[in-house]
Amino acid sequence: MKEWLRVFRAGLSIDNPLTVLMIGLCATLAVSSQVEGSLFMGIAVIFVLVMSNALISVLRKLIPSQVRIPIFIVIIASFVTVVDLFLKAFFPPIYAVLGIWIPLIVVNCIILGRAEAFAYHNKVWLSVADGLGMGVGFSLVLVGLAFIREFFGAGKIELLGATILKMPTGYAPPTILMMFPGAFILFGFVVAFVRWLNERSTDRKVA
Amino acid sequence: MATISHFLLLFVGAALINNILLTRFIGLCSFFGISNSMNTAFGMSAAVIFVMMMASTTTWLVWKFLLFPLNLGEFLYIPAFILIIAALVQFVEMYLRKYSPALYRAMGIYLPLITTNCAVLAAATEVAKPGFFKMAMAYNYTLGEALVYALGVSVGYGFALLTFTALRERLDIAPVPRVLKGNPMSFITAGLLSLAYVGLAGWFGL
Repeated sequence: MKEWLRVFRAGLSIDNPLTVLMIGLCATLAVSSQVEGSLFMGIAVIFVLVMSNALISVLRKLIPSQVRIPIFIVIIASFVTVVDLFLKAFFPPIYAVLGIWIPLIVVNCIILGRAEAFAYHNKVWLSVADGLGMGVGFSLVLVGLAFIREFFGAGKIELLGATILKMPTGYAPPTILMMFPGAFILFGFVVAFVRWLNERSTDRKVA
Repeated sequence: MATISHFLLLFVGAALINNILLTRFIGLCSFFGISNSMNTAFGMSAAVIFVMMMASTTTWLVWKFLLFPLNLGEFLYIPAFILIIAALVQFVEMYLRKYSPALYRAMGIYLPLITTNCAVLAAATEVAKPGFFKMAMAYNYTLGEALVYALGVSVGYGFALLTFTALRERLDIAPVPRVLKGNPMSFITAGLLSLAYVGLAGWFGL
């Protein structure tokens, strides 16, 4: 298998930032109450992750290792500012929903973590593949979580002002899913489920 | 007297009603990452209280006298504030290492982690750039209020972290289904803990 494809797939499965590495949780739990917001958040994170990984990888021979963390942060902060202003200008309703989570992408551990662990030591194309894999892996879990929470917690899914999925009438949604405690508890079960799946597949390989 | 009760409300509101960890989901990485022993949780809480107070003061001053008058705030606040926090943490670490070795041993290793603790960035931005948490509730903090607010947020952080750590230490010896052991169980516990905080929601505070 090609090297970059392997790197890309690691982000989706065995190194998935959310279910395996457990980083970048704050934004996930907060944003995942709506599919729409989660989609935009996923795209924002993918953009910042790919761009910062690429730039840091290009500059990796020029960045002295003593001051690398501040430099990484400045690079990440610039890309986050781009996303922040872009959403504010073109998608004001989305910006109102996501609010503080866009600026807080700066301190999202996934991005700094990948810069430090991967982009600083690898070639540009591999770093882009890593950023893409990690970003897509993050977004898949985020949107999946949001789907469960909105569909079962609110009884319908809205996307850009239109209702695309609806529970039959008479369904009484458990509002707890939309609230903070529901997010924690649901995520706990999702992590347990992923772990169960992984264990099962390794058992099968051994047997 | 009015001012004392005002500050008290501000403090309680920031610490309990709008607890940054359990009702705002900010700072969760450290919440799950270091809550496995009481000692580390205590060191981290102390470090967060210390850094959050200093960071909020600095960002408040920088916003008031530099970014806002120069009209740079809207597009420079993210890099500016995160750099302030990173630099501040670095200086605090160097200062403590040289002048207070005892304090450095207690919270030194947690200091670098604080740079990427979103709780610090969030609180420091909220006091400096009003309406960060909720645009509709934009509120201009005075320097005194900013300090009390930062203290409240960080004490609330420490309180939630220590409660959660105590619960987790108990859970380690409790009989839990095998797939749920460890992280999944921690999330469920955090959910139940956060349920307790939801009961306080909307009482008062900003």
